[in-house]
Amino acid sequence: MTDIEASMPPVKAPATERGLFRARYTASPATMPVMLGLPVLAWQLVFFAAPLVFLIVVTFWKVRSFRLEPDFSFDNWTKIIFSVPFQRALAYTGEVAVLCTALTLIVALPAAYTISFRLSQKLRDLAITFLIVPVFSSYMLRIYAWQIVLSPDGIVNSLIRMAGLDGLPLLGGQFALQVGLLTLTLPVAILILVLAFSGIDRNLVEAAENLGCRRSKVILHVLMPSIRNATFLAGSTAFLMSFGDYISPLFMTGSKPPTLSILIVDTVKSGSQWPRASVIGVIMLAILALVFLLANFLGRDRKIQAGGK
Amino acid sequence: MRIPNFMSGDISRRGFLKAGAAGAALAASSQWSSAYADDPNVLNYLSWPGNADPYLIAEFEKANNVKVKIKEYVGGDQMLAVINQSPPGSFDVVLADAEYMHLLHASDFIEPLDPDDYPLKDFWPEFQKFPLHWFDGQLYGVMTDFGYLGLSYNTDVFKPEEVKSYAAMWSEKAKGKVGFFDWYLPSMGSISLSNGNLPPFDLSEDKFEAVKEKLFTLKPQASGFYTIADIFSSLTNGQAQLVPGIGEWITLGLRLNGVPVDTIIPDEGGLQWTESLSIVKGTPKKDLARKFIQYTTSPEGQVKMATKVDNKKSIPSIAGWKLLNETMPKDAEILRLQLDKPNVMDEYKAKKIQFRQLPSEQSIEDWNDVWSEFKSL
Repeated sequence: MTDIEASMPPVKAPATERGLFRARYTASPATMPVMLGLPVLAWQLVFFAAPLVFLIVVTFWKVRSFRLEPDFSFDNWTKIIFSVPFQRALAYTGEVAVLCTALTLIVALPAAYTISFRLSQKLRDLAITFLIVPVFSSYMLRIYAWQIVLSPDGIVNSLIRMAGLDGLPLLGGQFALQVGLLTLTLPVAILILVLAFSGIDRNLVEAAENLGCRRSKVILHVLMPSIRNATFLAGSTAFLMSFGDYISPLFMTGSKPPTLSILIVDTVKSGSQWPRASVIGVIMLAILALVFLLANFLGRDRKIQAGGK
Repeated sequence: MRIPNFMSGDISRRGFLKAGAAGAALAASSQWSSAYADDPNVLNYLSWPGNADPYLIAEFEKANNVKVKIKEYVGGDQMLAVINQSPPGSFDVVLADAEYMHLLHASDFIEPLDPDDYPLKDFWPEFQKFPLHWFDGQLYGVMTDFGYLGLSYNTDVFKPEEVKSYAAMWSEKAKGKVGFFDWYLPSMGSISLSNGNLPPFDLSEDKFEAVKEKLFTLKPQASGFYTIADIFSSLTNGQAQLVPGIGEWITLGLRLNGVPVDTIIPDEGGLQWTESLSIVKGTPKKDLARKFIQYTTSPEGQVKMATKVDNKKSIPSIAGWKLLNETMPKDAEILRLQLDKPNVMDEYKAKKIQFRQLPSEQSIEDWNDVWSEFKSL
C-alpha cells in the first residue's frame, strides 16, 4: 500500500471524487505497468532465475561422501561432455524430439484445420473440450493405459491373435515411445493451432475463394501463412515437451536406450551426483533455449517480409 | 524393496496389493520431520518405504506409548545422503542393507550394540554372527530379514531345467526378452556369478573387464531396464520373460496373483540381500531404539516382517519361524519357512548363496559407468 501511495503525486486538498480519480489516472501511465509487472518479475526471479543460477553454480561443486561441497571445478563438465553414454543419449534424445515434433505437426495441422473449418459449432466445442480434458488428466495414467493396450498380451495383440496372426512387439522401441510422446504433445499442439485458425479473418478465405482459389490453394497460400507463428509455437512446444520427457521413455521403452532425462535420474541415483546431473540439466536447458530462439527468429522473419511487401 | 528408484514406494504399494488408500493416508501421518528429533514419544526411523506400516509397528507404538515417524529412502545411496545431511539426533534407528553397513560404520554414524540385548541366539546359526554386521568383533546391526536374488523367469515360456544356468539369458528363446532391474549391483553381480566369480563383487581388473564384456554381449537380448514400478508390470505383461538379479520379493507376490513367474537360484549361485537395524549415533533415545530393535527381532515382530502384505521376506529367527508355523501355517508354506520341510535355508546350506556387497576392488562409480554404458549401447 505504501508503495502505491508513494508512487502517486501528493494530492492537493481538497480533492473532489473526480479530482482524485484524475490524479490517480494521470500518475499511472508510467507507474501502473511497472507495478502490475513487479509481482511477475519477482515471481520469475524467485522461481526461475534464482534456481537457474543455483543450477549452474552447482555444476562446479563436488560430492564428497554423499554430501555436496562448494567448489570451483570443471570436472563435472568434462566428465559429462566426454562420457559416451551422455553423447549417445544426447543424439538419441534429439532424434526422438525432432521426430516427435514432425509427427505432432503432421497430425495436428489437419486435425486443427478440420476442427476449425469443417465441424459445426457444436462439434467444434465438443472437440475442444476433448482436447482440454487430457491436459488436466494424469499423464502417467495415460501412459499406463497405453501399456495395457500395447503390451504383448495387451488389447491390440489379443485382437491380432483373434484374427489368426502373430502378435507384434509393440511395446518397447520407437513406435511405443512416439505413441507415448504424442499423447503428451498432440492435445497442446492441436489447441494452439485451433486457436490460431479461429483467429483468421474469414473474409480472407472468402476473398481467395471468390478470386477462384481451390481449397488446397487457400490452405497453402492463405491459411498456412496466417498461422505461421502458431505453427512454430506448436512445433517448439512439442519439441520442448518431448525433449525433456521422462515418463514415456521410462515406461514405454523401459529406458532402452536412455534419454537425457533418464540419464539425469541415473546420475543422481548412483552416488548422489547432483552436480553432474545439473550439468546435463543445464545443457538441456541451453538446447531448449536455442530451439525457442530459432523458432522465434523464423517466425519473426516472415512478419518483416510480409510487412515489407 | 531393494531398488534405488525414487518412485518405488508409492507405486509398489499401489501397483501391488491392497495396502490401499487407507494405508497411504496413514503413511502420510507417520512421516518424519526434523521437529520430532527431541520428542521423547517419537521414534525417528530412517528406512525403506513401507516399514512404518501399521501392520508392523502398531503394537510397538501401543506398548511403548510412542509414535514411529518414518523418513523413507529408496536405495542405500539415498540413505547415506539423508543421514549425511541431517544433524546428529535426527534419527534414532536406521534400517540398512548389509552392503552399506561398512560405510555407515566407517563414517561413524551407528552405535556398537551389545549382542546380549538382542535375541541373536534365536537366529539360525548361520546368521548369529553375520559377517557384514560385525566390525572388529563388535555388533553394529541386528538382522531383521533377508531374501535371495537369482534368475526370475516366466514359467509359461521357460521350464525350470532351461534356466538352471544364467546361460539361459543368451539363448535364442530369450532374444529381446531379458529384462533388467535397473540397478548395477544385483544385475552385474549376476553376470559376475555367471562368469564363475566367487565372491562376485571382489574382482581383479581382468575379471572386471571380462564381466563388462560379457554384460555387453547381452545387449541384443535385452528388453529394457526397469524400475520397481515397471518390473512388476513387465513380468506380468510378458515384456520381460527372464530377469537376473531379482528374487521372490518380486515373483512371490506376482505368483500369488496368478502371474506365471518363479525365481530359481542357478547353478552358478545367487545373491542374498539382508536388512538390519542399527542405533544411530547421537540419538537421545537409545533405550527406545533398543526396544524397537528387540521388538522387530522378537518372534512376533519377525512374523509380521515375513508376512507384510506388499513385501514378503525371509526372517532369520528360528523362534519367528516356529511362531509363524503355529499361527499362519499356510503363509509358512508359501514363504518356504517350514522347519521340517525343504525351506529357504537349503540354498544357503548348499553354499549357493553369495552376499550382495559393494565392489571391493573398483569404485562404485566404475561399476555404475559400465552399467550406464551398457544401457546406452
